[in-house]
Amino acid sequence: MSNRALKLIFLYTIFTLLFIQNCQRPSSVQTSTSVNFQPEAIPYQYLSEYSFFTTPLPQQQANASVIAYEPRTALFTDYAHKARFVWMPDSVQASVAADGSILFPNNTVLIKSFYYPIDFNKPEENRRMIETRLLIKKARQWEAFTYLWNEEGTEAKLNLIGDIQEVSWNDKAGIAHTVDYIVPNKNQCKSCHNRNSELLPIGPKAQHLNGAFTYQSTKTPNQLQHWQEAGILEAGNWQNQFAPTPIWNDPQTENLEARALAYLEVNCGHCHHPEGPAHTTGLYLGKDFIDDRTKLGQCKPPVAAGKGSGGRKYSIVPGQPDSSILYYRMLSDDPGVMMPEIGRAIAHEEGLALIREWILEMNGACN
Amino acid sequence: MHNTLIALLSFSALLLIQSCQQASQEENPVDSDLYEKIQTQLINAQTGDVIEIPAGTYHLDRSLSLEGVSNVTIRGAGMDATILSFKNQKAGAEGLRITADSVTIEQLTIMDTKGDGIKAQDCKGITFRKVNTSWSDGAKASNGGYGLYPVSSEDVLIDSCMASYASDAGIYVGQCNNVIVRNSLAFENVAGIEIENCTNSKVYNNIARGNTGGILVFDLPELPAGNGSLCKVYDNVIEANNHKNFAPEGNIVGIVPPGTGLILLAAKGVEIYNNKILNHKTMGIAIASYHITEEKWNDENYDPYTYDVYIHNNSFERERAVPDLTKDFGKLINYLFPGKPQDIIYDGILDDTREGSNPMNLCIQESSDGLRFANVDAANDFENVEKDLSKYDCTIQ
Repeated sequence: MSNRALKLIFLYTIFTLLFIQNCQRPSSVQTSTSVNFQPEAIPYQYLSEYSFFTTPLPQQQANASVIAYEPRTALFTDYAHKARFVWMPDSVQASVAADGSILFPNNTVLIKSFYYPIDFNKPEENRRMIETRLLIKKARQWEAFTYLWNEEGTEAKLNLIGDIQEVSWNDKAGIAHTVDYIVPNKNQCKSCHNRNSELLPIGPKAQHLNGAFTYQSTKTPNQLQHWQEAGILEAGNWQNQFAPTPIWNDPQTENLEARALAYLEVNCGHCHHPEGPAHTTGLYLGKDFIDDRTKLGQCKPPVAAGKGSGGRKYSIVPGQPDSSILYYRMLSDDPGVMMPEIGRAIAHEEGLALIREWILEMNGACN
Repeated sequence: MHNTLIALLSFSALLLIQSCQQASQEENPVDSDLYEKIQTQLINAQTGDVIEIPAGTYHLDRSLSLEGVSNVTIRGAGMDATILSFKNQKAGAEGLRITADSVTIEQLTIMDTKGDGIKAQDCKGITFRKVNTSWSDGAKASNGGYGLYPVSSEDVLIDSCMASYASDAGIYVGQCNNVIVRNSLAFENVAGIEIENCTNSKVYNNIARGNTGGILVFDLPELPAGNGSLCKVYDNVIEANNHKNFAPEGNIVGIVPPGTGLILLAAKGVEIYNNKILNHKTMGIAIASYHITEEKWNDENYDPYTYDVYIHNNSFERERAVPDLTKDFGKLINYLFPGKPQDIIYDGILDDTREGSNPMNLCIQESSDGLRFANVDAANDFENVEKDLSKYDCTIQ
């Protein structure tokens, strides 16, 4: 055999080895049992590299140091199911601000996976994984990274520019649905996660976490308690200090208006807030604005709704949901009309029913 | 026989070509590559970057957005050359959304967005130069509200732009400080150029033609920016703004009667001079308090009056026309002045806390022959309509 041929074989072997290694890289990290977080290397190209989950990935079986949580009332995203987790480095803790916001230490990661069970009656089986969003606090500033799952649901890759994916499922009544699910681009994260132009988490507030949560057959009687026991939240009497947010679809937790306002706060209040991106509208949604019902939209003319007014004169006309811009825009699926502006392509029927009932029972008249 | 055959063949060939064209027009395949390229550049942008969009017509199904990076320029190859079409838009409330400081957008056209054309919010420094926004089916209520839409921003410059067919305002500047709108053309929108709750604005050298209302200077209640003030409108051609009002009800521009040149609504510190105000079937300039809308408000800091207004050296021309009959204010003009378009209409609503013979400090010095002015005394059911201008012969420096 000639020297030249040997060289070629040698080169080929090296190349093949490199190639194999390259292909295996993500899965080799996946088998590790503790979270892999090197701040200078963030964001990784693949979700598996963080080792937040044990294999197989789509089951979202969290590593011991990764804690699942759920807010009492959640943002609607086209009926997507969501699995949420928090991870913090060892020996640091979150604290609680006066308004109940959880103040996380540097290098905290909030993890949120969006998926659709093919059959909503069997949410643990046959999931179509769509995206996993990470909010990472780096040097006191949050950054958002989205990982898009492959079709097989075995791995998710960093994505900046978003995507549109057709998704189908059967709801609990067996009715088939299909939607163009929209994965937001990196810049759009800030359209919602925004206070005074700073990117911030939305869900983790003491009020929202003040309650029980069952994740994969493990029942946690109270999440605030659980976070403290796990050592990730400073000790305190948070459960009594911050009254639980009403659960929007559980009449036992609160009256109609309180539940409607909780729903609006979670679904709209991140923008419609004096320090949120919709501050220009003067429409502020959530229980904090109950003392000024004009700010809540009652008999409030629109500012810059354009065709979003749908020919209606006020955000809310008491007793008349069908004459209320708020209801019209929540019902719409026209991108130029609908609210929220991003994060959904179809209407949330059950949420709409709640808001409808709230407006129907509201007293007063405009002009 | 031979000729007939040729004719038939040509005819069917034409039909074929036409149907092909129609098919490709309807499909409008999305230019995902361009979207990915530009949006990736916008996400990865560094201070000082120029993001160039080459010549071509591109169909996009999602909004483009720039967030948090200052001193970025987004540049097309020219208003007629780089066209971003959002006809098939599936997501996003506007074509392009900017939340960043010192941004320049230039030399491109945004077509057929489902919502607003370009929205720039909370920017310190935003320039639009040679940018066009439009909707290809002409004036329709289903068009987006605003073409160029800077809001809650500072140092806004709109220069040499075009805006047409917006169902609210072609150029809409809301809750901004230090605003210049110049050398631009706004046509066949409901409002051509609207300055709303802004402080320190200049609107000059523009053409507002064929809108429902040409130029509006408004202050509305319940807005975080509060009351606006100080606006100069000069050297503009404001012509034949007689278009049907196609705004969806509920929006403030819905009240504008077709045939209106300029409206000051709850505006303070305004100077209007050297404009050509031509051929409006209802009124050239309207000076009004927010009370005229008969809307309530719940904003204790809101100042609903128009005052400190100086209108001078404009030229007015009218054609014979019947003032508008579709909106309340048009009907009012017709009722008071049957078949006579007016040049300057003042609602005469006074703020009782102000004193003197000219409490609202309204100065009008116009020399057009046969100028039609009226204070319609709206506060007293139009009892004392006054056509005498001498009371307002004063200057404001």
